[in-house]
Amino acid sequence: MLILAVDTAGERVGVAVGRGPVVIGAVTLDGRRRHAEQLVPAVRYLFRELGLKPGRLAAVAVGTGPGLFTGLRVGITTATAMASALRIPVVGIPSLDLVAYPLRHTTRTIAAVLDARRHEVFWALYEPVPGGIQRVSEYEVGSPDTLGADLTARPGDHLVAGSGALAYADLFEPLDHVELAGPSHAGPDATALVELAAARLEREEFSRPSEVRPLYLRRSDAEINWGRAAS
Amino acid sequence: MRVLGIETSCDETAAAVVEDGHKVLSSVVASQVDLHARFGGVVPEIASRAHVELVNPVVAEALVEAGAALDDVDAVAACHGPGLAGALLVGVSAAKALAFTADRPYVGVNHLEAHLYASWLEEPDLRFPVAVLVVSGGHTLLVVVEDHGRYRLMGETVDDAAGEAFDKVARLLGLGYPGGPAVDRVAAAGDPAAVAFPRPMLGDGFDFSFSGLKTAVLYHLRREPSANVADVAASFQEAVVDVLVAKLAAAAEEAGATALVVGGGVAANSRLRQRVLEAAEAAGRRAVVPQVSLCTDNAAMIAALAHRRLLADGPTPLDAGVDPNLRLPRAP
Ligand SMILES: [Zn+2]
Repeated sequence: MLILAVDTAGERVGVAVGRGPVVIGAVTLDGRRRHAEQLVPAVRYLFRELGLKPGRLAAVAVGTGPGLFTGLRVGITTATAMASALRIPVVGIPSLDLVAYPLRHTTRTIAAVLDARRHEVFWALYEPVPGGIQRVSEYEVGSPDTLGADLTARPGDHLVAGSGALAYADLFEPLDHVELAGPSHAGPDATALVELAAARLEREEFSRPSEVRPLYLRRSDAEINWGRAAS
Repeated sequence: MRVLGIETSCDETAAAVVEDGHKVLSSVVASQVDLHARFGGVVPEIASRAHVELVNPVVAEALVEAGAALDDVDAVAACHGPGLAGALLVGVSAAKALAFTADRPYVGVNHLEAHLYASWLEEPDLRFPVAVLVVSGGHTLLVVVEDHGRYRLMGETVDDAAGEAFDKVARLLGLGYPGGPAVDRVAAAGDPAAVAFPRPMLGDGFDFSFSGLKTAVLYHLRREPSANVADVAASFQEAVVDVLVAKLAAAAEEAGATALVVGGGVAANSRLRQRVLEAAEAAGRRAVVPQVSLCTDNAAMIAALAHRRLLADGPTPLDAGVDPNLRLPRAP
């Protein structure tokens, strides 16, 4: 069962191909916000090197954010267009889960944090459980200070990972019971997406392409301003 | 050859299948106008979000209506500019994904050039040169098409697009959004000679200017708060149409054009359509006033142009991006 996994919610373009949960190829590029230029060529490169044709795919998995809006739309549109054309299911998994999952062997609470720009971060908290992770918070967007205060108030030790953790390292590093994961955990991991998607497919938890929606967490500025003017 | 085209440059999500560059097998347009109406204009982030939700269903519908599967098309095209960056990326991403999946060439095309080609969908035997006026909420340009792919840009707006002027005046008159159809409707009952609004830049080259005209309407309404709305709308519309038609006719004259052609959303305006027909007849030239669905943003024009571009230049590489400020290619 071949799975194509793509995530472009962060700065990176991440693509992986799995035979079931086993990753047989992966490409990670520092996208520099050139997701639309790089994503399909990266997929094509992997397929060519692996000697595969798109028609052999059983499913497409995609990181649904939260993340940078433009990247998110490129990833979701590409994944759902391919899945629609091939009439195969899509598995959408929040990109923050893909930051936390590779750290599941820790004993600490994992804070997956992605840079949201405008001095804000997207985050969610996870506890390691046998075989994976369990999310213990909502998906949030807010100031890194709010997250810092949140972590300080919580009992136990915390591992903070992702581009948002690195961008605000000065803020998180001095906190007690908080450790920063390194730059290799900066972005959502497409190989984690293969593993998580394979498990979902096994349980037949997938969507039709039209049901996969980006997790924006923010309304558009116009709606925010309009809401303000109206209230 | 069949081309699947996708258009997402502004607030319409569209897909179409066109055969041999002029036979429209299907053309589906999902308008987002209701989503933007309360803001009085197109909101880029809302447009981009809507395109993500609409692009796959619209493509699927275009294929079904054409009685074709993806494997039955020979190329997949998308508009790659000009337009809203986030909106363009959705159509381009979908087109590249489909092209890769079906192992077909991808063709990225210029939205403005596609508007020029819409007239060939109705009149495939149109002879060069032709003078084309493309007017919408986003663009106002006057072009002489000398041959396939050879464009002489005669003039463009120095400030507001023609459609923007309609939107702004509609707001001043309390007619709602979008302004073009609203002004057109109300103006039908008004006297176009009631108010002598200025004809900006008439007789002054081929460029256009509409922001002064909007200001003139504003001042008129301040001076006469109880002015008849239909008369003001009709007089404003007449001023815009006078300028557009005079310059189109003059460009046709200068270029020795065989035909006067209009495109773009404002080309849906009934008064403009009528006046272009009259001007062409007076000058002994053909008029091409395509059906409204080919004037407003659509994907049939994208697929039609892509057919030509593919034959002339070959496919667009899959690592090409979008260009929100793409200009019309100049005559070599
Ligand atoms: Zn247009």
